[in-house]
Amino acid sequence: MGEVIDIHTHPAFFEPICGTEGLLEQRRQALGLYKAGTSSLAHIYNQMRCAGIDRLALLPLDLSTQESQTIVSNEEIRQLVDLDPQHFIGFASVDPYRPDALDALEHAFGDLGLAGLKLHPSRQNFSPASELLDPIYALCLRYNKPIIFHAGLSLEPNTTMRYANPLEFETVAARYPRLRISLAHFGFPWVRETAALLLKYPNMYADTGLLYFDSAREFYEEVFTRMLGKYWVDRSLRHQVMFGSNNPRFEQIRMIEALRNLGWRASTLDLVLGQNALEFLG
Amino acid sequence: MFYHKRNTVLTSQYNQFILITEEVGAAVEESGIRNGIVAVTSNHTTAGIMVNEALECLESDIDDALQRLIPEDHPYAHARILRDYGSTAGNPTGHLKSMLTGNHCLFPVVDGKVVKGDAQEIYFMEFDGPSQRSYTITVQGE
Repeated sequence: MGEVIDIHTHPAFFEPICGTEGLLEQRRQALGLYKAGTSSLAHIYNQMRCAGIDRLALLPLDLSTQESQTIVSNEEIRQLVDLDPQHFIGFASVDPYRPDALDALEHAFGDLGLAGLKLHPSRQNFSPASELLDPIYALCLRYNKPIIFHAGLSLEPNTTMRYANPLEFETVAARYPRLRISLAHFGFPWVRETAALLLKYPNMYADTGLLYFDSAREFYEEVFTRMLGKYWVDRSLRHQVMFGSNNPRFEQIRMIEALRNLGWRASTLDLVLGQNALEFLG
Repeated sequence: MFYHKRNTVLTSQYNQFILITEEVGAAVEESGIRNGIVAVTSNHTTAGIMVNEALECLESDIDDALQRLIPEDHPYAHARILRDYGSTAGNPTGHLKSMLTGNHCLFPVVDGKVVKGDAQEIYFMEFDGPSQRSYTITVQGE
């Protein structure tokens, strides 16, 4: 079995970057995780070990023009990666409406050495196909960095599903065939649209960070064997689906176990649990 | 006299037996109370306090019995998003196992010592780990 990478986690409550009660409460409200507590790194490692995860991709969120706040900054992500580069992969975030958005992203890639970009169109309030984003996409290409887009339902406040339908991203995939982009949460509830896009565009990926109903085993069975054809991932999309948990909203331990019970080939599981993430990260 | 303390535990497994008998005895000693009662209470709904004999075979049997009674793969109503939390409740088995062990135990304190049977040990029972947990020890007497 190869390396297991969780490509979608939110480190807002990691103890080293969430040191005060005020910050904890602010992040609880901002992320809609109302009873979350701070997590020591020892606890994070215990969670990873129990779930069999080797590395976590850490996602920040820059909302500086829309909500006058940054929930987790690029610098905080760098701080966490510096604490443990063996276990953490740091992503950048940038609010595209910031006048200095390009400079901030160049700093994140060039100086902070972050591995990719997370964008959240439905909370940062932009259309992925907008010309506003073209310089950002060009910069990602120049640095060979992938983009994770939030797609589909979000349980965060101030976030509708506008700009979250997977079809919003087709123009980007078509216009930038060398740009690797991932639709988080498999674009739920539009999982068939996500599957269709993955089928057509090899530069598109999707993660498994969806657990909106039922237990992990029940919901993954519903999504990956009934909403989608039972063999679609295993036969056709096996190089483009990545394990992502959306932790701490969803728990990794049962999600991985549920993926292992879907009947996919062992080689498909290896791809989904880690190898695809390595390809995506470049 | 009244003495109360809170201990924290960083659990490392999904289901875990953690012996806390020594911690309870130490708290009774620290309290200075000679005669009375000591109560040990879990602060959680997916963890418990259990009294039993500390044998590897029994821990295995108890774990096995709890899993048989409360299997992971069952259509639990609690398996859903909780709006008040903003997250998925993936832990119905933890709640149900906690119900079986209970959330506390109680022992007499006589001459500054916990009065318990030779085979009796006190466990903090993790049913939804790994997690950051706590339990309280309360001694009342004179």
